[in-house]
Amino acid sequence: MSMNLYWLQSGGCGGDTMSLLNAEDPSLPEGMESLGIDVLWHPSLSNSSAAEQTMLLDRLTTGEQELDILCVEGTVIRGPGGSGMYDTFHGRPKKDLISALARKANYVVAVGTCASFGGIGTGAKVEAAGLQFTKWTKGGFLGEQFAARSGVPVVNLAGCPAHCEVILGLLSALVAGRAPELDDYHRPLPWYGVLVHQGCTRNEYHEYRVEEKEFGEKGCLFFYKGCHGPLVYGPCNKLLWNRRSSKTRIGVPCFGCTRPDFPQDYPFFETQSIEGIPRELPNGVKRAHYMAYKGMAAAAAPERLKERKTEI
Amino acid sequence: MTHATTLRFPMNRVEGDLEIEAEIAGGLVADAWCSGTMFRGFEQILAGRGALDGLVITPRICGICGTAHLTAASRALDGAAGVEVPDNGLRLRNTALMIEHLQSDMRHAFLMFMADFAGPAYLQHPLHEEAVRRYTPFSGETTIETVHETKKVLEIVAIVGGQWPHSSYMVPGGVVSVPSESDLIQCFHLLARYRRWYEKRVLGCELERWDAIRSAADLDVWLEEKNEHRQSEVGFYLRFARQAGLDAIGKGHGNFLSYGALDLPRQTKVKPVIEGDMRLVPAGFARGAAIEAFDHEKITEHVAHSWFEDPGGARHPLDGSTSPYASGREGDKYSWAKAPRYDGAPAETGPLAEMIVARRPLFLDLLRKAGPTVLVRELARLTRPALLAPVVETWLREMSDDGDGFYNRPGEIVEGVGIGLTHAARGALGHWVKIQDRKIVHYQIITPTAWHASPRDDNGIRGVIEEALVGTPVKDASNPIEIGHVIRSFDPCLVCTVHSVSKHGSRTLIRL
Repeated sequence: MSMNLYWLQSGGCGGDTMSLLNAEDPSLPEGMESLGIDVLWHPSLSNSSAAEQTMLLDRLTTGEQELDILCVEGTVIRGPGGSGMYDTFHGRPKKDLISALARKANYVVAVGTCASFGGIGTGAKVEAAGLQFTKWTKGGFLGEQFAARSGVPVVNLAGCPAHCEVILGLLSALVAGRAPELDDYHRPLPWYGVLVHQGCTRNEYHEYRVEEKEFGEKGCLFFYKGCHGPLVYGPCNKLLWNRRSSKTRIGVPCFGCTRPDFPQDYPFFETQSIEGIPRELPNGVKRAHYMAYKGMAAAAAPERLKERKTEI
Repeated sequence: MTHATTLRFPMNRVEGDLEIEAEIAGGLVADAWCSGTMFRGFEQILAGRGALDGLVITPRICGICGTAHLTAASRALDGAAGVEVPDNGLRLRNTALMIEHLQSDMRHAFLMFMADFAGPAYLQHPLHEEAVRRYTPFSGETTIETVHETKKVLEIVAIVGGQWPHSSYMVPGGVVSVPSESDLIQCFHLLARYRRWYEKRVLGCELERWDAIRSAADLDVWLEEKNEHRQSEVGFYLRFARQAGLDAIGKGHGNFLSYGALDLPRQTKVKPVIEGDMRLVPAGFARGAAIEAFDHEKITEHVAHSWFEDPGGARHPLDGSTSPYASGREGDKYSWAKAPRYDGAPAETGPLAEMIVARRPLFLDLLRKAGPTVLVRELARLTRPALLAPVVETWLREMSDDGDGFYNRPGEIVEGVGIGLTHAARGALGHWVKIQDRKIVHYQIITPTAWHASPRDDNGIRGVIEEALVGTPVKDASNPIEIGHVIRSFDPCLVCTVHSVSKHGSRTLIRL
């Protein structure tokens, strides 16, 4: 079944589009062709004239032409004072266009953490909101009860940026007529059911609590460097970035960019700790158990790890 | 008789939000106003955050030049911490930034700039059919190849920096990663692949042949020398652009600015371009071809025409503020972009400015003969990879041999002031930071697009794009493709909107 797609950019950086251009099997052009997706408009890639774009928007917002998939990249800017005038299109708030298109589309996809949860700019003067969440709180710009015409709520492809294979994977599922199961924050489980930690090449250092205190040492980044890998869901170390590596593999802590509270309100590159143990522990783990386990793990660490002999 | 028409319409294939209002009289742009239509408030979001947080937050300003923001943020923090970056740290920072340029230059040229050649405005152009075959979005041969080759070369950034876009692998004192021999070998092969493609398809000749072109006359000789040259992307671009009149539009103020970028390691085979300037991209300011030394103290920002509270006159970015003041379309204010000025003057930056300040003979000659036209500006972007690719090769090789470190530990940054200047693919980028009590208290950013898409300044002088548009002929007001070419030749990182419309006097509304 072929579908059409409209890609709208709001308060964002275009990074999700740049991520999408990294897709390999299929690449973006090959994928659109093989899936039968007709890209009606993409602001970075289309070459139709402004007049054609205006006519297209008229047809879509009046319902004269059906819209299958709306992808929104970037946060919804509502400031100042709820007016949306910090981000305008044709002199009108961009948020009005988002609302008009979302109510006509069969599926609404939030591409990236800004569109999903508000991301950068939530709680700031721009009054940023995600399409159906603002940080952890359901509601967001379109409201708690919102469902697209298919009955499916906004699907959140979280990540800063969203991974190219996640975007193309979801589009493939929708074209096949399957809306994948979502987690509590509307992230599709096939891609957000694994932790960032899974697949990190520093795992042996993590197991025995051999930690990196200074950048460039070989070690785990969880206890001192603010890594969110064991805490946050995302396919970074399963799918890898650009098919090659990931931040945690090369020594950059995971910043938890798929989580509704990204960017966190405390400093990056350092772990918030209670008596030397991270304040936040992996989902479902009891502190007392964790302390005992990590104490024993550190005691059991082999010399070769303490001497940082294992390559990463 | 001339009657003026004001055009405003939405522009695509630029990153971000921008509106151009152009007054057309007698078929020419008589005046233009450039207005950023989105405020994101990054500078205020950074205030109060941890000293290192700019490394994570600022790459998110831009999906296409995040590595450049990371470079600027790291350099500002190097300064605040008073730490020197060891040679391999410099090489690894430079490598990712240059790969980002190799990617951006090609994606901009073929996906964003040339895509217009395949559009309906050029149905009558003798090379239109060929342009459709090459540049149609999602299906053109060059489009598909560009998507493929740029994503392959970006794998190098992932190998050394974890991911692209939006890594944070640079930190004050160097980089966090230490690539293994196996990593460097993979990078080398990926770069060799890009170079083969670039030579075969983009230039149609080896880099050495291209480097031998030192004048406009040499360029014509090269074009006629071989069918491979004429059929290459550069050859086709020259033929199409000349017949489309791009060699006559988009000149602007003729001021060129380079902050300087890509510090040379202390020990390297790569020679400085200008003696005494230890950077691959030398710094300078040029009025025409008259080049003077660059002094960052001469950078100021004006807000008389921007929707920000006026701190009272032009300010250096360390003293500037970013306090939004939405006053609507009435009055003098019309943009969310500030007006950066160098020594009081607007200036263009980017590949052409880099070529001029580095005194590259071909571009000095083209500037002398034709001025800084759309054709010349885009040619500089299209051929910059010829300068960058061999240097990345050298630095990858040197990293394997050099035992020098990747990181010098700076200690905690409790307080300090830092200035981080570098170049993004589209030109000069600066971050200015002040830290007190381990927290950011002041952050100001001037992007290359702020230089280009600047509104008028306190003295009423037009911004770079505004000035470059004046005099541009517009054949079809319902599809003013020429305005699009001029704007896109600056590779703006904004989604450009040129709005609806009214005619002075009779005020006819035309929706574009």
